Amino acid sequence: MVVRDAQVVRAMTYVAASDQVMAEVLGVLSRKRPVFAPVPVGNGQYRLEGAAEWEAGRHTVGPYRTVEPLKELVFPPREFLGKLWAEEERNRIEERMVVGVKNCDLSALRIHDYVFRDSDPEDPRYTALRRSTLIVSADCMDCLPVCFCPAVGEQPYPKGGFDINLSRVGEAWLVEAGSEKGDLALAAARDLMEEATAEMVRRRDDARQAMHARVERQARESGLVPGSDFQVAFRKSFESDLWADFAGDCVECGACNFVCGTCHCFMLGDGYAEDNLPARVREWDSCLFRNFARVAGGANPREHRAARLRNRFDKKFNFFVEVLGAPACGGCGRCIEACMGKIDIREVLRRMQDEG
Amino acid sequence: MSNMPRAEQETVRDIYRPRPASIVRTADVTRIEKLFELELESGEALGHMPGQFVEVSLAGFGEAPISVSSSPTRGPRFELVVRRVGALTGALHRLKPGDRVGIRGPFGTWFPVDSDLRGRDVLFICGGIGLVPVRSAIQYVVDKRSHYGHMFILFGARTPADRLFSDEYEQWCAPGEATFLETVDKRDARWTGAEGVLTTLIPCIRFDPGRTVAVICGPPVMYRFVIVELKQRGMAEDNMFVSLERRMKCGVGKCGHCQMNHIYVCQKGPVFRLSEITDLEEAL
Repeated sequence: MVVRDAQVVRAMTYVAASDQVMAEVLGVLSRKRPVFAPVPVGNGQYRLEGAAEWEAGRHTVGPYRTVEPLKELVFPPREFLGKLWAEEERNRIEERMVVGVKNCDLSALRIHDYVFRDSDPEDPRYTALRRSTLIVSADCMDCLPVCFCPAVGEQPYPKGGFDINLSRVGEAWLVEAGSEKGDLALAAARDLMEEATAEMVRRRDDARQAMHARVERQARESGLVPGSDFQVAFRKSFESDLWADFAGDCVECGACNFVCGTCHCFMLGDGYAEDNLPARVREWDSCLFRNFARVAGGANPREHRAARLRNRFDKKFNFFVEVLGAPACGGCGRCIEACMGKIDIREVLRRMQDEG
Repeated sequence: MSNMPRAEQETVRDIYRPRPASIVRTADVTRIEKLFELELESGEALGHMPGQFVEVSLAGFGEAPISVSSSPTRGPRFELVVRRVGALTGALHRLKPGDRVGIRGPFGTWFPVDSDLRGRDVLFICGGIGLVPVRSAIQYVVDKRSHYGHMFILFGARTPADRLFSDEYEQWCAPGEATFLETVDKRDARWTGAEGVLTTLIPCIRFDPGRTVAVICGPPVMYRFVIVELKQRGMAEDNMFVSLERRMKCGVGKCGHCQMNHIYVCQKGPVFRLSEITDLEEAL
């Protein structure tokens, strides 16, 4: 297939007429790269599972976000960063694609981009993984009971940050290229699709508004007010009892950090690479762990659990608003599902609102 | 169309990978603090400024932030002083000249020896191993003596056995150009000097608060008392610099451990102008 002039294809939106055609398009895209996509696991949840190619009977686009955050693909839970005294290595970074990413994960990826790619010095490993990942996102077609993205200024469909986005419109799919990389990838499947009509785009926008209204209603029912300034609320509630109240239920397991799409903290340690040579290892860490901020001499700036829990909200709703202009929360609700102490971030935010 | 995944050839140069350095010399500073003189195996100078830190690593034991204790004016080699507190520092203490450690950095901000301090009287106030990073600035001032006015050094140690660099005080203080005062929290039988907390030394010196810049470094509890005392003497927060100890694990603003409200200490610090952090809840 000849790649068409990028100028001509740029920002094009196509229609895949049916699920069958959509699967064929994804099949074509995945011929060039392994694919990660949602797979239903039977309890209403979807896991992000990898395969060499799109498997039509198993992979789906998914109605809402997966159990795992997207960050796992660009910031693995544990990775070797290279042998200690070896010369610079040439790492093979494989092209891959991830399908069905929802907006909460795309917005969360902005945090990782800021930390690892856009802040000096750049983390070359992150950048390489990021660049080799084709992101095929999708509008939310349903929501989980814990979803609350409109409360943090997000919406259940992407406004950017994707290479290709998929939207269900009746029996068909709208396929939108969001980057030059997406354009080029879609060129290979161009013959399977029609060009989108204004009518299709209008129907997509209607579906988006309806879904947005539904999640917003759900967020309001949990007591949150979309448009709230959580940075102001956080700063005003800094000395509040609310932190000690919620910290009483925290067991310091770190689950909220590990499932969070935005949490990016890590430890550096030493291990052994495949060939038994000493190598630097990077592993996810949790700011709720007691010794997270403790210095070698023994002083701990956040000795108390309440201070550590508060710091989690400081980082999300103060630090990143300050440095990046947006909170580090996509409203995905994963931390609500993961918390063993049943701490509900919506309740924490509501108390911040009330006491701020 | 090929089924083969297309691999992108990337050169991944890791910002977390150290440079090798050799130990040239070690010396005991106290019972638990040891000095290491190091040189990068490449032969280059470290390129640091007083108050900056490096990440020191030993394969299998990990990595820790350690402040550089020598001045860049003293050649390409550099000195670190390491207190033995855990597995990594314990292993470092067992190393001998010729052994190799990993170095990343230098990282962080530095004492403003070429800006705010220049042309002014300088007041160094150090508690315990707070003297370790400040020694780099003291050496810098000594080596460029004509750039600065009078130098005051106030030093407090827990006990006489915890004093650091006591054989160097005389070299630092040329008569008439410098004032050195020290105290210990708790004297022993042989100690004939002052006893009491560090702040008790501040009333003993005369300085012009409009012409003096203070550099303060010590344990967390010390800062509040010293700052109150200096403010009472008329010193502005703009003229006080502090160095904060936080867990600067990666040194490059990524890992999150040294975060303090909306800043990373490894990026905006560890040296701060006091007026820049007075509104940070977790700073002091």
